[in-house]
Order: sequence, then C-alpha cells, then structure tokens
Amino acid sequence: MTSLAPGRALRAAEPSAPPTRGPRRRRASSRRSLLGLAMASPALLLISVFFLIPVVLTFWMSLHNWPLLGNPRFIGLDNYTRALGDDNFRSALKFTLIYTVVITPVLLVLGLFLALLVRRPVRGARFFQSVYFMPVCIGLASGSFLWLYLGQSQIGPLFDLLRRVGLVNSSSNLFAGGSTALGLVIAMVTWKVVGLQMLLLLSGLQSIPDEVVEASRIDGAGLWQRFLHITLPLLRPTLALVLVFSVAGSLLAFDQFFIMTGGGPSNSTITAVYQIYRISFNGFRLGYGAALSVLLMIILAAVSAVQMLLLRNTDHN
Amino acid sequence: MGNRRWRITALLSGVLLTVAACGGGGDSGSDDADDAAPTGTISVWARDSQQVFMSKLVELYNSKHEVQAKVTVIPSASFVQKLGTAASSGSGPDVASIDLVFAPYFASAGALEDITELADGLPYKDALSPSHRKLSTFEDTTYALPFTAEASALYYNKDLFEKAGLDPEKPPTTYAEMRDAARKIRALGKDYYGFTFAGACGGCNVFEFTPHIWASGGEVLSEDGKSASLDSSQVTAALQHYRDMWTDGSIPSAAKNDAGTQQIPLFTSGKVGMTALGAFAIPSMEEAKVDFGVTPLPGQDGGSSSFAGGDVISVMTGTKNQTGAEDFVKWATDAEAQDFLAHNGSVPVRTDLVPTIYAPQGAPYKVFGDLMGVGKTPYSVVENPIFNDNNGPWIKMINDATFGGDIAGAQAAGQQAAQALIDEAG
Repeated sequence: MTSLAPGRALRAAEPSAPPTRGPRRRRASSRRSLLGLAMASPALLLISVFFLIPVVLTFWMSLHNWPLLGNPRFIGLDNYTRALGDDNFRSALKFTLIYTVVITPVLLVLGLFLALLVRRPVRGARFFQSVYFMPVCIGLASGSFLWLYLGQSQIGPLFDLLRRVGLVNSSSNLFAGGSTALGLVIAMVTWKVVGLQMLLLLSGLQSIPDEVVEASRIDGAGLWQRFLHITLPLLRPTLALVLVFSVAGSLLAFDQFFIMTGGGPSNSTITAVYQIYRISFNGFRLGYGAALSVLLMIILAAVSAVQMLLLRNTDHN
Repeated sequence: MGNRRWRITALLSGVLLTVAACGGGGDSGSDDADDAAPTGTISVWARDSQQVFMSKLVELYNSKHEVQAKVTVIPSASFVQKLGTAASSGSGPDVASIDLVFAPYFASAGALEDITELADGLPYKDALSPSHRKLSTFEDTTYALPFTAEASALYYNKDLFEKAGLDPEKPPTTYAEMRDAARKIRALGKDYYGFTFAGACGGCNVFEFTPHIWASGGEVLSEDGKSASLDSSQVTAALQHYRDMWTDGSIPSAAKNDAGTQQIPLFTSGKVGMTALGAFAIPSMEEAKVDFGVTPLPGQDGGSSSFAGGDVISVMTGTKNQTGAEDFVKWATDAEAQDFLAHNGSVPVRTDLVPTIYAPQGAPYKVFGDLMGVGKTPYSVVENPIFNDNNGPWIKMINDATFGGDIAGAQAAGQQAAQALIDEAG
C-alpha cells in the first residue's frame, strides 16, 4: 500500500511541470525511462525466474500426462475436465474454505484486540509486543511439531492440563476427533501468526491522527463510539491488507495439517495443497498435480481480487 | 578477471576429463573379457534408515575391491521422489538400494538396468528370498537383486501373559485366541492394553495387517496386480478382528492417529500385551529389557504369514560405470556382505545362509529368519498411492472399519478407490 504513495505523488506532480518541448526533454525522458528499467530489472529478473517461468512451466505440465519417471504425453485439457469431477479435490477445497472461514475472524479479532492492548504508551507495552510477536519467529513446521507433542494424549502437557480441568478424559485422543484435531491446529496457527497481524494492525492504529481522536473526544464520543466510528473506518485499509494476507495464507495451508493431523482422522483434514502434494508425490502424477495447482491459483487470484475490490471501494468512501 | 576465467576453464575441463575417464573405464570393462576386474568409482544411494550399516558395508567393499563406492544417504520420506527426479534428469546414482515395494514402479518406468543375465548366473539364485525375486521382475526381465530383508511378526509381552493367566510359551494362533489374550491383559488394570497398532500409517499396516489376510487364505491384490480385492471375505474377517479388539477396549486410543511412532514406545512401556512389528524392533525391545516373545501373525482359524519387506539393489539406467555397478550389486548378495548385514540389523536375503548366520543369534531372530522364506509382498506399480500413502484407500479402510464400525462401507469405499488407482495407471 505504502509503496503506491510515491508513484501517486509523482503522477500528481507531473501536470505542474513546465510544458517545455524539444529534443532535450525527450532525451531526458528516454534516459529516465531507461534508468527506471535498469533499476526495476533485478526485481523483474527475480519475478521472472521464481514466478513467471515456473507458472508457465506449471501450466505446460498441466496439459500433459506427466509421470515422475518416463515420458510426458500431451493430453490437452483432460486434466482440467477430470479435476472438475474429482470428488477428493472438491472435498479438499471445501475443507480449505471451512478452515479459512473459521480461522480468519479468529485471527483478525484477536490480532486487533492485542494491537489495542499493546498500543497504549505505558511501560511494558513494548515488552508485551515482543512476547506476542515471538512465536512468529518460529518456523511453522517447528511450531506444528511442538503442538503435536503438547496435545498428544497421555504424554502432552496441554492434554494433561485439559484433563485436569475436566475437558477431556484420560483415555481420549484429541487428534482422533475431527473437530478437536481442527481445533488444535487452529490454536497452533493462532499462537503462531497472531503476533504478525497484531504488528500490522498496530502500525495502522498508529497512523490514525491524534487530532481526529481528540476532536471526537471533545465532541463527547465514548470509548466504544470512538472505536466504532473513528478507529475502525480509519483502519479499514490496514484491515483489508491483513485480511488478504490471512486469507491467502489459510487457502494455501499445508504444513500444519501434514504434521499435526496427517490429514486425519479418516482424511477429514486434507487441504487443497495437501491433496496436490498427494497426487504429485504419492501418486507420481505431476501433470494432474500441476492442473490442480493452476486451478487453486485461479481461485486464490479471484478471492484476492474480490477483497481488493472491496478495499478500493472502502478506500474511496 | 582473465585469471579467474582461465581457472574456471581448467576446472571444467578437469571435470570433463574425470567423467570421460569414468565412462572409458566402464566401456572398456564391458568390451573386454570377463576376467578383467572392474575399476573406477560408483555412487550408491540408500535411505537414512539404512545409515547404520550402509557406510560400513561400503567400507568393507572398498577395502577389498578395485572399484570404489561412495554412499549418499537420502531421507526415507523423500527417497522415491528424489530418486525419481534424479533418474529422469540423468543425474541419478550408479546403484540404488530401493524399498522392494517400489521396484515394479521404477522398473516399469525404465529407470533400472536389465540385469537378467547377472541374476541368472548366480549359483545361489534359488536360495534368494522368493518375494524379493518376484518384485524385482517386471515383464519377465530382472531389474534388481535382493539386498536386505525384513519380516513382520507378533511381539508379545511374556510377563503380561503370565500375569493374565496365559501361557507365555503358547502365543495365540487364531483371531479368537488373540482377542481373548488381549482382553485378559486389558483386565490387568486401567493403564494396561492388550494390543496396539499404527492406525494412521499405511506402510505400517501393509506390513502388519496383510499377513492376517494372507494367513487366512485371502489376498489384497491379484497376482498380476491388476485388480484389488479389498472387499473379500478374508479382509472382512481381519477387519472384524481389529474392530472386536477395539470394542473390547483392548486397544488404546493413541492407536487412532499413530503414524508409526508410538507402537514401540507403547510396547516397551511394558503395559501393552501385543503388537506387530519387524526384526528392526528387536534392539529397542532388548534395550528396554522387556521379556518378549515373537510369534508369526496368525490367520482367522490358524495358519500364519508375514510381509516380506526390505530392499532390492539395482543398477540405474544411465550409469557411467556399468561393470563397477554390477560388481557391487552382485557382491551385495554374496556370503560376505550378507553375513555383515545379518549382524547389523537386517534379516539376510539368502535362505541358505539364515540357519548359520542369522538364526543362532536368538529365538526372535530364528522366527524372523524362518518367516523371510515364506513372506509375501503385494505386487503393484501403484503400491505407494494405494498402501503407503497415509491418506490412501488402504489405511482409510482399516481406520474407518476399526474405529468407526461400518466394515462393509469401509471395504466398499476402499475397494473402489484402490481399483480406480490401478485403472488410472493403465
């Protein structure tokens, strides 16, 4: 978002530039555009090598029957027609959507709550900022293994705690129940990423001008009214940014389920990426896996586009 | 600048020369008469589970041969993918030790060299593990030699058997006896369980559950691997057996999501009566000082069977040193190498050597050694997606039937999904 601002400023400044014409200006402008290209080229190169070329290759692979070993065979759009009728992929997509719908509000509300808590300029706010942010620095896989141990029946400390509170009995197994397994994963992911959301929202909160808040206070607005009518509307761009990040991350979830639930119980927690992994690396059907990846990318792009659109509208209000 | 460029050129040509030298060595070896000893270097890929013995085994080989082998250890979980990608891009090793269930797949994909002549020329070829030999053959051509073996059997805790009033020298021989023993051990106390298995691990259960079906006269796949038979009555009976032990309360709930990591700790804790494992578990049991016995996995009304696991060893297509690679592969099955393996955690693949080099190490060793000759292995180019995939049809069927109870429904779903995978592979 902030990266757009300088560009906008430049464009706004252009009409006011003196309307001189002639070869000198043209030479200057062509030099300028060359310079721009030169400065953008490292990024362009990186994007080409690590994004554009792989995407094109993925699409090329998706048009083939492409085994791990042996020769690929061109089959046109067969992989796509098959994907549309693939029940396993559909249920994986459905589960991914459910997971996203459940976890997004949890992260957003909790992240905002934490940001409001640590915003106040009291001593210790910095300390708690660091504490809440700390799990973000831990790898997702390490975090998953940690929680796998914590929640394990009989041996896990978290399990023991829940047992003492009386929420579970000693013979039960949290990873063996569909909702409890999902609950544990959501708890882990929340612990792991809520700190980042808190930090992003905190920067949004701090960009709200003090004068506005003060003016509303003078006008007699209460705490709740200030939050509802001042903080939230002014925070919308940041909220939208956090939302796009969060939703994209959830739609691409894989590691946490692969490690913590192994897709179980009874294959009920297989996400879209997990299913792509299975097709490609357990079934060795790289072409079909590529087709599913392309479909997921389209879905992701559509969801992000819808969110961006909403963001733009609110921005102009 | 110029200096550096020169150095790179020199380095590159050096590499090229080395490659040419290796290739030359291989070529001249195959052109010359057979008595010319193979030379050069070879690379060997193995899985991390073989790390303990593999490097020592290669040292033993290098100390006595002109050819020098170098081992690269690959993580088990990604071995097939890594070997597959390396082979398809031409950067694979000269020799690979492959889990035998994957041999048909690699052979069918053209990644392995035809070594039929070499295999047929071995004086002890009929004494090699029959299941390994079968899995090494694809369309009447031999692509691999048996290398290491593993068998599955039922471990039982003799102490608990005695406490529960069972005869520790008479382990169960039918489903009914096994269920009864499990129930009696469960009755010993709140924390005691009769039996456990890895309910979320496909590979574990093809190793530990299929023997029940085979021992009862059933199959999970047809002989040629073209049709699945997960809906047969023998599969029903075996699933019912697990289901019964679960409803009796004899199985701990930890089994539901055990991905194969909890079986040994649960058994060595001394509070679980029985579990099915391979010879690889013997050291853990001895270390934990559990008084255990090993008995073949029983069928419904008697009989017994075992899964013949382990590795086969192959010369990879595109090797630069074929004679060197063939020499290593051949040596891996001879008495010296097998004797070394037998004392370093592997069941030998030579049935003729089992009585002299393996069985004398103790009673459990004898059981595994004997089982190796009778063990079976499902033959399929889609073994991985059907059986070893932890979200595949096989483990889903067992988990749903045991813990859910709808055995017929689980079987129908498993059969349909497994057959679909076979049909897709063509």
